[in-house]
Amino acid sequence: MRTATVILAAVVAASSPSWVRAQAPRPDFSGYWELRVDSFHVPRAALTAQAAGRLDEQAARDADALARCVPIGMPAVMDDRAPIDVRHAPTVMGIVAPSPSSTRHIYTDGRPHPDEDELEGTTNGHSSGRWEGDVLVVDTVGFSERGVTRVPGGGFRTPRSRLVERYRLLENGRRLSVVFTWTDPGVFQAPHTYEFRYYRAARPREPRLTNCIPDQERTRFLTGRPEAK
Amino acid sequence: MTPASRRLVFAATLAAVAAALGAAPAGAQQPSAAPTLPALPSLSGLWLVQDPGSNNWSAWYNNVPAPALRPEIVTDNDAIAAREAAGEVVNRAPRRADCPVGNLPMMMASSPALDIVAARDEVLMAPESGRARFIYTDGRSHPNTKDPAYVPSGFGHSIGRWEGDTLVVDTIGFPPRVCDSRRPVMVTPGGGRAKETTRLVERFRLRDPDTLEVTFTWDDATVFLKPHTYSYTFKRVPFGNPVEGGGDEPPPREFITDKVAN
Repeated sequence: MRTATVILAAVVAASSPSWVRAQAPRPDFSGYWELRVDSFHVPRAALTAQAAGRLDEQAARDADALARCVPIGMPAVMDDRAPIDVRHAPTVMGIVAPSPSSTRHIYTDGRPHPDEDELEGTTNGHSSGRWEGDVLVVDTVGFSERGVTRVPGGGFRTPRSRLVERYRLLENGRRLSVVFTWTDPGVFQAPHTYEFRYYRAARPREPRLTNCIPDQERTRFLTGRPEAK
Repeated sequence: MTPASRRLVFAATLAAVAAALGAAPAGAQQPSAAPTLPALPSLSGLWLVQDPGSNNWSAWYNNVPAPALRPEIVTDNDAIAAREAAGEVVNRAPRRADCPVGNLPMMMASSPALDIVAARDEVLMAPESGRARFIYTDGRSHPNTKDPAYVPSGFGHSIGRWEGDTLVVDTIGFPPRVCDSRRPVMVTPGGGRAKETTRLVERFRLRDPDTLEVTFTWDDATVFLKPHTYSYTFKRVPFGNPVEGGGDEPPPREFITDKVAN
């Protein structure tokens, strides 16, 4: 009986082009995920001299972006002050942060990055993911200079930056590990890697969207996250 | 305090810290096994609403079967039209933190591609890479929108369920007023209203893998003489990548200064 049900379900799924499933059972990263004090595993980044000399200027630009309600973008989206909302569908994963930001999309439908001359920089960049077993490996390029650019551990993103992330569930899905690796020859002397381990969180309170009022957002955002150890 | 009791306090403190660090917060559903991706109708993607050939926004917005409106709504529509005809076309209402965010009927009709991420327990739906609607498909019910603590948004509160391959979405909890000096109410296509007494039911269905049909039914006895139903057709943008808007970014100050100076 069970075998018949499975076969019937497979036939129905195969006959309906409007239904999609990942080719093999894959982890579902959906959920509300929050960072707590023990979530941060962030070493100090080795910066180029050029980048080290630009830190103050970059920090001022970040502050101005916050004050002007510019979408914060990556990596601040993944480091937000309240739970992030991760919604994982078979062909795309959407990530929404409470702070003013664009929805982050990670495509797992096999699409490549757009050609360089067609790639319009955004605060979140363009992200494509592929599976390595139960790990979703996400490659992101195409960042703009807008938003909050600081990278945990030191440095900042630029349009030349590349980010590789590795997502995996821990503890039967109660925690989510994301390992971030930034490369940018103008900013980092060597690839800069750190890990956030998120906790599954409760539903956020409604309404989840609020108006960003220029010059008030900066105070709300700056919560003093631990940067490096 | 004796050394033994000090150790006890220290141990209790450690336990409390460990609990604070590792305990599940109230309301967080902790899975017993790592969840896996479900099979779902492939609503996810970028979708362009299909305009049959309207010449302008107003013509398009009202290109729906005429709703049967209560007389006072018709009168109010006439007043709005008269003010617009007299030149009141710029929103002069200040934006405040407590202004309701968003406008569901306008977003669903607008030309920026509708970006959908349809996951197991929640559907994200927004123009391009913006943020807008959260449609909960995890079985939760609506909050008590009559509770004074409920803060309405222009997207209302949406819960959805799958009926076969159709996503049926129920939305209530719209705001009674919005921050717009021209029309301080949310106007639905054809001249209706979305407000605190209004219910919207939407049915999302793929006609084929690249064609999405959405049927809207607005119901509110204080607005409509009978429920108002119309449909939009959306076409998929294959492998489309959403563009990023400016968010809430105001124009540069020098731009404003130039306009004032001129």
